[in-house]
Parts: sequence; structure tokens; C-alpha cells
Amino acid sequence: MKIVKTYKAALIAGVLLLASCAHEDQPTESRLDFSVPTKTDLDKWISTSFLDLYNINVYYEWDQNTVDNTRYLFPPKVEKVQPAMEVVKKIWIDSYTTIGGVNFVKKIAPREFVLVGGVNLNTNGTLTLGLAEGGQRITLFQVDNLNKKSRANVTQFIHTIQHEYVHILNQTKPFDEQAWSKLTPVGYTSTWYTEPIATSRNLGFVTSYARLNIYEDFAETAAAILTSSKAEYDAILASVTDATAKANIKAKEALVVKYYKDAFNIDFYALRDQAQKNTDAVVNN
Amino acid sequence: MKAIYIYKYLMISFIALLLVSCTSTEVDAKFDQNATERLSARQKELNDVLLSSAEGWKAVYYTDSTQLGGWTHLFKFLPEGKVDMASDFTLGTDTDTKTYRSQYEIQAGSTASLVFTTGNRIHLLSDANNYPTSALKAKGYLGDFQFFYYGQKNGDIIFRTNRNGHFLRFVKATAQDWTDLPKNTPVIDGLRGNAASPLFRIMETNDGVATHQFDFDYNPNARFGTATSLDLGSQEAYDVAFAFTPTGAVSKLPVVVKGQKLTNFLYDSTTANFIATGTNGVSATIKFRNEPTRLTEDYKLLMPQSGNNVYAYIYSITKAESANSALFLSLLASTEAAAGTGLFINRIQPWFNNADGTSYIEYRFSTVANPTVVAARVYHYFTIKTDATAKTVTLQPGVWKSTATAASPAIAAPAFMKALDDQFMNPSGLYFARTQVSGYTGYTLTSTTTPFRLVLYSFQ
Repeated sequence: MKIVKTYKAALIAGVLLLASCAHEDQPTESRLDFSVPTKTDLDKWISTSFLDLYNINVYYEWDQNTVDNTRYLFPPKVEKVQPAMEVVKKIWIDSYTTIGGVNFVKKIAPREFVLVGGVNLNTNGTLTLGLAEGGQRITLFQVDNLNKKSRANVTQFIHTIQHEYVHILNQTKPFDEQAWSKLTPVGYTSTWYTEPIATSRNLGFVTSYARLNIYEDFAETAAAILTSSKAEYDAILASVTDATAKANIKAKEALVVKYYKDAFNIDFYALRDQAQKNTDAVVNN
Repeated sequence: MKAIYIYKYLMISFIALLLVSCTSTEVDAKFDQNATERLSARQKELNDVLLSSAEGWKAVYYTDSTQLGGWTHLFKFLPEGKVDMASDFTLGTDTDTKTYRSQYEIQAGSTASLVFTTGNRIHLLSDANNYPTSALKAKGYLGDFQFFYYGQKNGDIIFRTNRNGHFLRFVKATAQDWTDLPKNTPVIDGLRGNAASPLFRIMETNDGVATHQFDFDYNPNARFGTATSLDLGSQEAYDVAFAFTPTGAVSKLPVVVKGQKLTNFLYDSTTANFIATGTNGVSATIKFRNEPTRLTEDYKLLMPQSGNNVYAYIYSITKAESANSALFLSLLASTEAAAGTGLFINRIQPWFNNADGTSYIEYRFSTVANPTVVAARVYHYFTIKTDATAKTVTLQPGVWKSTATAASPAIAAPAFMKALDDQFMNPSGLYFARTQVSGYTGYTLTSTTTPFRLVLYSFQ
């Protein structure tokens, strides 16, 4: 009993302590509304065509957290969403799937597409055609303006995805940056948008935007080839009068081809032909 | 005191403190519900009130009344997040008031907000690529389509816009509002004017005793105008930010005449005037007219004492100037079409007071295939008459020639030139005035009776 006497105070304190916890509220179910909103036909189509097959979600409804809220952007019209995403699936996913294998896009892909109806105009007058954030999310602008019957329009739209997807591939496996940066080391500029495209090509860059840095250069070179037929790309090369510049563009092309072969075992020209075939299918149907 | 007692009292006081400190753990609840419940309730409340109005809601959205007017929107909220919407927004010159369906959502953030989640009419105000003034480049019409729920007042819903924090009021719409919306279009078009409207515009105020004139500069896309007094030495100026109704234009900013605030400008379709009427004879009228608001002495440059001055419309330099009026451009196009296949007018070059005492307009034609080579010329001779009161010049028509020499014979007036040439030879005269252009010295030649105006390159 002596022990009890000695530790009486401690015992009482302990009981009190425990008792004080007895009336704590236990966590209940979340008060946030997690009910799934009614799915429209479009939502169901997105689920079956993108989410289920490729684990890619497509956000077309406005959420200010997925866009730059200082820009004057707006969501696309509902009826424009499916046609735009059909173009994406046909020309981008189907081409890579045919040439790279069924699982290629399933393994390496942006996980989210965010669709914006209008253009993303910068105050310097340039348009941002697309954004790839952290390899996870691609934002596509001008969804409302896509005209499936116009090859030029479809090509510009798909150029964005081809370009951004090259960035995502680069983030998975880097290209030979050293070899690349030795080709045209002096042509890069942050004011690329003031440069006429002919000038840029005669410096060894396929577009003016390619002159921002070597990563954009790589993506632009790859995307330019993927969105052109062989004849169209040859015409671009033929327009370059400077011999060194032409050689440099060709050297860059060779690096791109080598990258696709070494990193992913993809025949880049076969991919280009497949993309062209699928573009024809989109424009002619 | 023994140390043991000090210890005991200390312990007692500590325990006392401990117990006391626990007595008031409950904070006085300021609200009956916690934050999440309140936010959810707020979302539900907003959605319920939006759905409660059978004919939907009407909002006149002024995105920034310091530089833009207002656009009337009608919304009918439907179950499952659908919304029918119509607006009187004007894209180019097309005011499409038809109703379109899209989606909306009540989103939770810092507070409940109404978001129009898929493209519809209201998003036209947020298109970076379609802006009404150069200052708004990449900012469109400064519009928002996410509105934070602020509360309800007298049956109206009050929102604050997401980006700019402006108040926006949703008023219960009536069936009449929906049928009336298309009737805004002729009023909007009336204030914009068309190719047949006179080129100048004034606001005239009447304070019951005297009238005062203001130059009225109106941007129809922005729906915003500025009236600047034409009275000598007066600094009086008013901005107007218009929204439209079937009967007229309502300005958010008042025009003050004799202490009376005038905002409601009624449209008179027969005169094309917009008249705001106060009491005791006070009014303000916006009207078109052919006479420029500010007359200049520039016409004297065309008089004999100014010597041999030559000016020209040059297709590659002056055609793109915005001061060329629609009537001039359409007459130019029809004359070119009538001139013959593949031909266009390279220059219209009035020569005043040549060395031999003659004056003429030289019309030069080139082929589209070879625009730098002159394919044909015709000259229409004229004599000059000026009017010092009206500050106008009249070109009195003389003979036509194909070569500008005294010896060359007159030719028959080319019939296809008549419509265009008649504007220059207007018996009521023309205004001639310096104009702001970049890269060269420019003047305008403006008809006194028709909306005909062109920009001329000055060789002097």
C-alpha cells in the first residue's frame, strides 16, 4: 500500500489526463463535397478514349488554377473539344503507337491536357501556342479556332503537341546536348520573335523560335519534320541559301533521328510518314 | 519557511494554474457551423438562387467604366450545370444576340463563386486576341467569367469579379428582357454609324439658354466615347461609357449640364441622333455631321499664291490609312473594276497651280501584274475656288485630256471615272486639312456633303 500512497498523486493525475481525452470528437467523414458530378457524353468519351487507355485526363472546363490567371484566356466551346482531341489522338497518339508500340504513349505521356478556347497573346505580339509544364501537363490554346478541313490549321495545332511531347521525351531521356550546342553556338537569342524566319533558317535554325535555346531548337527541329511531308521539309531545306546553315540543319536532323533510334528504338522517318498519313486522314475526312 | 512547504505551495499553485488553464478550452463560436459547412451552404444558396428565377438573370457588365462601356448579358440557369446565355456583344460589326448553351459550376475557393466553365458569349470579353484599343492589347475587354458570390440585396445577386474585383449585379430577368435583347442591335449600329454616315460627330448640349458644342470621339467597339468642348478656352470634357437598351444608350458616366446629370440617350432613328433630355430645356445630343469639328486654314495651300503644290493618293503609301473613308474606298474599288481587267489606280494626283497656270487631277493606272509601271494616265483639268468663311475649296471641272500639254486635244470624259471624279468636283466644295500620318506629310481631302475622305501624300 505504501507504493499506492507514494504514487497516489501520479495515479490521480494519470486518470485525470486520460479522462480529459475521453470526450474528444472522433474524425467523421469529410465535410467536403466529393460527389462525382454528372458526366456528360463528352466526359464519358474522354474517359474511354484517353483516361482509360492512356491515363491522360483532358480538362476543358475552366479551373483558374490550371491556367495563368493574369492572362485573358477562356475555356473552349463544348462542341469544339471532341474534334480537337480526335485530332490529337489520331495524329499524335496513333502515330507513336503504330511506330513505337502499343505501350509507348501509355508509358511516356503528359498526364493532363488543359484546353483553352482562345489564343495566348503576349504583350510583345507573339502567341504562345502551347505549354508543357513539368512534363505532366500540356496546355493547348486556340481549340475554338481549329478547322479540321484546313491542313495548315491542323498542322499548326498538332505542331504544339509534337513540340511539347519532344520536350517530355527529352525529360525522360536527354539528347546529346553537347553535340547539339556545338552546331550553331552563336545563333541563340531571347528576342527570337523579332527575327524573320528566312534569316533564322540561314543561320541554321528551322524556325525563329528554335533560336531561344538548344532545347527549343531540338523540339522545333523534331516537330518541324514530324509536321511536314518529306517534300515540304525538302522545300524548307531548299529555301536555305547559306551552305553552312543548310549543313547545320541537316546535322541537327541527323541528331534527332539518332536520338529517336538510340533512346526509343524508333525510326523517325517512319514516324514522320505515319504522322503525315494520319494528318491526311484527318483533313480528308 | 521550510523548503518543503515552499515546494508544496508551489506545486499547489502549479496544479491550480494547470486546472484553471483547462477550464476554458471552448472558444466562443462566432458561427453556428464550421467553415466548410458554411462554404458548402453558401455554394448551395448561390446555386439555389440562380436556379430560382424562371426567366433567369440579367447583368449589364461594365468591365472597366474608365475606358469601356457595358455589355448586357442574359443567363438562364438550368439543372445539371447547364446555362443558356445571350448577350449584345458586337464582334466586328456583328451583334449576335442569339441564345447559346454552355456549362456553369459553383466552385469553392476563398468563397463560393459562379464560373462559366465552357465557352459562351460572356467569354468574348476575355479574348486576349480581340481588344478594342491598343492599350488593351492582350487583355481583350478586361472581362471575367468567374464571379465571387458577395450576397443578395433586394432580390439581386451581388458578385465581385475575379480578376479586377469590380461589383457585378445580377437582376432577375423577365421574358421581355429576352425578347428585347435583339432590339439593342439597331441602336448599337446607329451609334456606330455606317459607310453612309457623315464622317464627323459632335455632342451638343443645351442648358436651356445656350447651346455648346463638343467634339465627340467614340470607339464603337469599346462602347466608350469622349466629348471635348469646342468652345474657345473651355476645358470641359466628358467621358461616356455606354450600354444599350432597345430605345437608346445609357452611360454609366453622366454628362453634366447645368447641374443635371444626363445618362439616358434616346435613339432617334430618323435623324440618327441620340438625345438625353433633362428638365427646363436641358439636353445633350450626339449627332453626326459632315462639317469637321475643327476647321483649319490649310485650304490656302491650294490657292494660287501658295504656288505649285502637288499631293497624291498613292496605293502603296496612303491606301492603308484609316482616315480613308469607306465611301472613298468603295468608289475606288468600283472604278478600278470598271477600268478593265487587271488594272488598278496607282495614283490620284491633284496638281495645283502649275507653272502654265493650269490645275488638274492626274489619274494613273497600272496593271496588277506590273504595279510599278504606269499603264495609262488621264487628266481632269479644274479651276480653283475657295471660300474663306466655310474654309473650303471647290474644284470646278474643266476638260479631260490624255496628255497634260496645252497642245493636246480634249477627250471625252471617261464614263467609268464619273462616280469617283464627281466627289472631287463636288460643287459644294471640299475641306483640306493636315492629318497625322507616320513617315510622310499627309493631308485629307474631305467632302462637305458626303462621307468621302481620302488621305493625300504631300510632295512639298
